[in-house]
Amino acid sequence: MIACIVIPGFELRAALRSRPRLALRPAALAPLPGSQPLVGPVTAAAEAAGVRPGMRLGEALATCPPLVLVEQDPAEAEHAWEEIVRSLEEEGFAVEPAGLGCLYFETRGVERLYGGVEPALKRALAAVGPAWESRAGVAERRFAALAAASVARPGQILVVSDKRTREFLAPLPLSLLPLDEARRDELEQLGVRKVGELAGLPGAAVAERLGPGGRHAWSLARGEGRGRVRARRPPVDIVERLEFPEAVGNELTLRRALGALLDRVLAHPERGGREIRKVALSARLVGGGSWRRTLTLREPMGEAARIRTALGPKLAELPAPAVALGVELVELAESNGRQLELLRPEGAEARTRLREGLRQVRASAGSGGVYTIVEVAPWSRIPEQRALLVPRDE
Amino acid sequence: MVANPRAAGAARAPRRVNEPRAALVEASFDGTPWQVNRQAVAVVREEWRVVDRWWTEEPVSRRYFDLVLESGENVVVFRDEERGGWFSQRGA
Repeated sequence: MIACIVIPGFELRAALRSRPRLALRPAALAPLPGSQPLVGPVTAAAEAAGVRPGMRLGEALATCPPLVLVEQDPAEAEHAWEEIVRSLEEEGFAVEPAGLGCLYFETRGVERLYGGVEPALKRALAAVGPAWESRAGVAERRFAALAAASVARPGQILVVSDKRTREFLAPLPLSLLPLDEARRDELEQLGVRKVGELAGLPGAAVAERLGPGGRHAWSLARGEGRGRVRARRPPVDIVERLEFPEAVGNELTLRRALGALLDRVLAHPERGGREIRKVALSARLVGGGSWRRTLTLREPMGEAARIRTALGPKLAELPAPAVALGVELVELAESNGRQLELLRPEGAEARTRLREGLRQVRASAGSGGVYTIVEVAPWSRIPEQRALLVPRDE
Repeated sequence: MVANPRAAGAARAPRRVNEPRAALVEASFDGTPWQVNRQAVAVVREEWRVVDRWWTEEPVSRRYFDLVLESGENVVVFRDEERGGWFSQRGA
């Protein structure tokens, strides 16, 4: 069977971890700068006051004037989510994360380990932690498991047998189906508001009216399509961070800092010479909040200069000056071999000698003996603000 | 760049370059130094002010002097007018 664990409003819960008092007050997740002014998930108090997720910001504030807007903290949310996924993996669940606050796993492997589906699910909910108010759904089909988890109460495990899948799905709202807003509105105007009502329509008519996406939703509504679970490979944990003495918004400085960070993160011995497949860039922003971008490289690579070229343009997307910048190696390739060039590039010999010299210094002076100077604000009138000494271990 | 790992602060965290160091300075009535770390000043090469970050809670107001001591050594010192005290600094 396929199990699904859902944590509704995960981003808001993650953002409220540092401000737990707000969880009891009317609060909503603020939209990201530059995005549509719609509120995100809301607290129970806000919901009771009439605020709904996806409401326009102005309407939400007019409905509930004491509403507190909580700034999004994507880096904290990803960090919290990674903690949850890892604790499940440590308990033996091969997890496929499907976005923040939703994950799947096959119960087949863990049923015998924990003595049945329900004990295994109880163990999984305990691994997630009671503070997140997670809920679980189990079914033979992936969509049915998601639907079961979505309607379950906090801490509840809802098991849907294959025979009853269609009957179970029928009264549920259309919002559970992966349909875009326009298609859902179209269906509602036609009087189709429940999953069962869509399932009762002829497939050919649905495909003609709503296209392939609608046809897919229709087959899910009928309890068809099992859907496989593809467990992820646990990520590597190689991270480097650089704190700035003051907020930096200048792209040139940020690129320099990125160069130093890449040198440090690639020098980690845990990497073992393997090439990088996926890398994440994160920043803590001035005035609170954070920013994070993950990049899958076109091909695995291990050269700092090439990774810098790929990551550099992401720095222009920073919404505010940063007080700290971080680079994380998310996924490494298995291979560490590569066809070498026929001619060595210019400067390679000098770099090899320099690296050897630094290794010699490190051997005699110990770890922490070699530093790189990173210019962070070369234009500053205050001399000590211009550059940082960053430890360099290679 | 190679730093002394045994020195205080040779921790793994990044640190600033050219941090000011406290200096023993004797100044005349107009504020011009005539002795630095018990060495007489031979020439005042240059003098300038840095006033910055006045909009923050950590304003900077410094009066810098580029000096040549009697020993021939070239030093840059400043008086911190916010907190008081004299400091020497490289890279100024």
